[in-house]
Amino acid sequence: MTRWLVTLPPALFLVVFFLIPALIMAVASFREPGEFGGLAPLSRESLGLDAYRFIGDDIIYAWILAKSFLVAALTTVICLLLAYPLALLIARSPKRQRDLFVLLVILPFASNFLIRIYAWMMILGPLDLLYSPTAVIIGMVYVHLPFMILPLYTNLEKHDPTLLEAAQDLGAGAWTRFWRVTWPLSLPGVLSGSALVFIPVLGMFAVPELLGGTGDLLIGNLIKEQFLDNRDWPLGATLSLALTAAVLGVSALTAMYSRRTLR
Amino acid sequence: MKRLLALLLLAAAMFARAEDVLYLYNWNNYISEQTAARFERWCGCTLKQDYYSDNEEMLAKLEAGAAGYDVLVPTGNAVQTLIRKDELRPIDKERLPHFSNLNPAFVGAWYDPENRYAVPYASTVTLLGYNATRLEELGLPTDTWALIFEPRYLAKLKGRVTVLNSHRELIGAALRYLGFSIQDTDPAHWRQARDLILRAKPYWAAFSNSTYIKELAIGNIWVAHGYSSDMFRAREDAKAAQRPFRIAFSIPNEGAVLAVDNFVIHKSSRRPDLAHRFIDFMLNGENAADVSNLIGAGNPNAAAVPYIRPEIAGEHAIFPTSADMPRLEMLRDLEPRQRRLMSRLWTEIKVK
Repeated sequence: MTRWLVTLPPALFLVVFFLIPALIMAVASFREPGEFGGLAPLSRESLGLDAYRFIGDDIIYAWILAKSFLVAALTTVICLLLAYPLALLIARSPKRQRDLFVLLVILPFASNFLIRIYAWMMILGPLDLLYSPTAVIIGMVYVHLPFMILPLYTNLEKHDPTLLEAAQDLGAGAWTRFWRVTWPLSLPGVLSGSALVFIPVLGMFAVPELLGGTGDLLIGNLIKEQFLDNRDWPLGATLSLALTAAVLGVSALTAMYSRRTLR
Repeated sequence: MKRLLALLLLAAAMFARAEDVLYLYNWNNYISEQTAARFERWCGCTLKQDYYSDNEEMLAKLEAGAAGYDVLVPTGNAVQTLIRKDELRPIDKERLPHFSNLNPAFVGAWYDPENRYAVPYASTVTLLGYNATRLEELGLPTDTWALIFEPRYLAKLKGRVTVLNSHRELIGAALRYLGFSIQDTDPAHWRQARDLILRAKPYWAAFSNSTYIKELAIGNIWVAHGYSSDMFRAREDAKAAQRPFRIAFSIPNEGAVLAVDNFVIHKSSRRPDLAHRFIDFMLNGENAADVSNLIGAGNPNAAAVPYIRPEIAGEHAIFPTSADMPRLEMLRDLEPRQRRLMSRLWTEIKVK
């Protein structure tokens, strides 16, 4: 009974705010765009695979999806490289300083995301980097770095220091201790951090819009454009479902991989 | 007890005042602060504004259910869309004694032939703004779209050109340059326009809808495709900062997009009375002149002209003459199928 009481509200929340909108999206993708935006009145002729065919017949949409995956992957790798040493440093510093460091990591959230991106515009402008793919990657890494640091830190902090001492006693050097003890134990943190970075980056449209140049269009921008500029909801819904399917595919692969390696 | 009563009265008074609010959904920077303040004093009410930077954005928000706006300021094609969607409330001309101030050339436009819903407020032309000093040095022409489309000119302007980040405007300019109408919907002509744009794109610095004002005024950008009112601002900014160069703008020979923005009353308006008072206030010649004097927009109000600074009223690119008119066209809305194709071409333009 108590279990029901505890699990029902979140389950209900997910059904109302995730499942139902996802279903609406799925239905919209089969319909026709309305004359003024929105959806055309429902009729037998107005249901079909038009939007899917439109995307499928054209390599350009697959190409943009692939490019978005590349940007997300690159952002994730850079975030991991930057976050790992920092998380390790925080986890191994004295208890009192740790809280301060964690506070510093989440401090940027105290100011609005758009204002921080505008600040980057002022930094990148004089460096001649503004409106370039590099600027997009810098912005993406900057925005998502805390989401990599925090899960890594919570994982690394729990490591038992006696394991490293034991390894040292057995003659393992610093590098071996890291590769054979710390890294394998931190994999769950690496995976959850990567997921927390990779997935939001895939859908992000504000960063490329503000920092990107004439060619830096990602799938998020394309979806936003269908709803806000082009008034073509079915095409937007279909693109968004394609993105969801791709994300689920990647998550499934990661889950399979992690089950195999973490066991 | 007395104090409580006084407090209640005060609260009631504040409520009554808070009731007199006119909600205006307007373009960015389209009514000067002075004009807005004067209106508030005159009607004893509050004017609250939300802003959009694109008709599509405004239509999309309304489509998604935004409500509570009394007055909107859509461009002609968006007026037509709103009329056909039955989103507007007819205007009661009895309550607009200043309606006759309008220039007959702007009354009865194609999107609302009897002005049942729309009252023209201001007009802009999408044209080329440029750094006149620089272009003279380089020996480049200033009166043709070739400036932003032809590699032989662009070679001298690489990285110094911005174009609007709007598919209708940019493809429209390309269509005019190719000798087609802006209303042209032939996919073959659209593809020709796309090819023209893709050939020129490597020379452009960015697609920009607003930053070009600043970039032109400080001299980073030498040619910008944009709105006449923005070019006016860039010119004034450069003058005020005493830059060693001059900003100018002109309508390309091949023709351009004319946009007429109108006041309309939304169906969901809770205060049509205030909305009518606002529109009539803005029709008064002296008030109507502000949008030209302070923002540099063209003016459909004949009674406003005597109040407009002569250097603005005499600027052809802001107040097109009857000789310019045949070269100017208004955008019309596209059918859903055409929108999808246009968006496809635009995506290609963006990623290639």
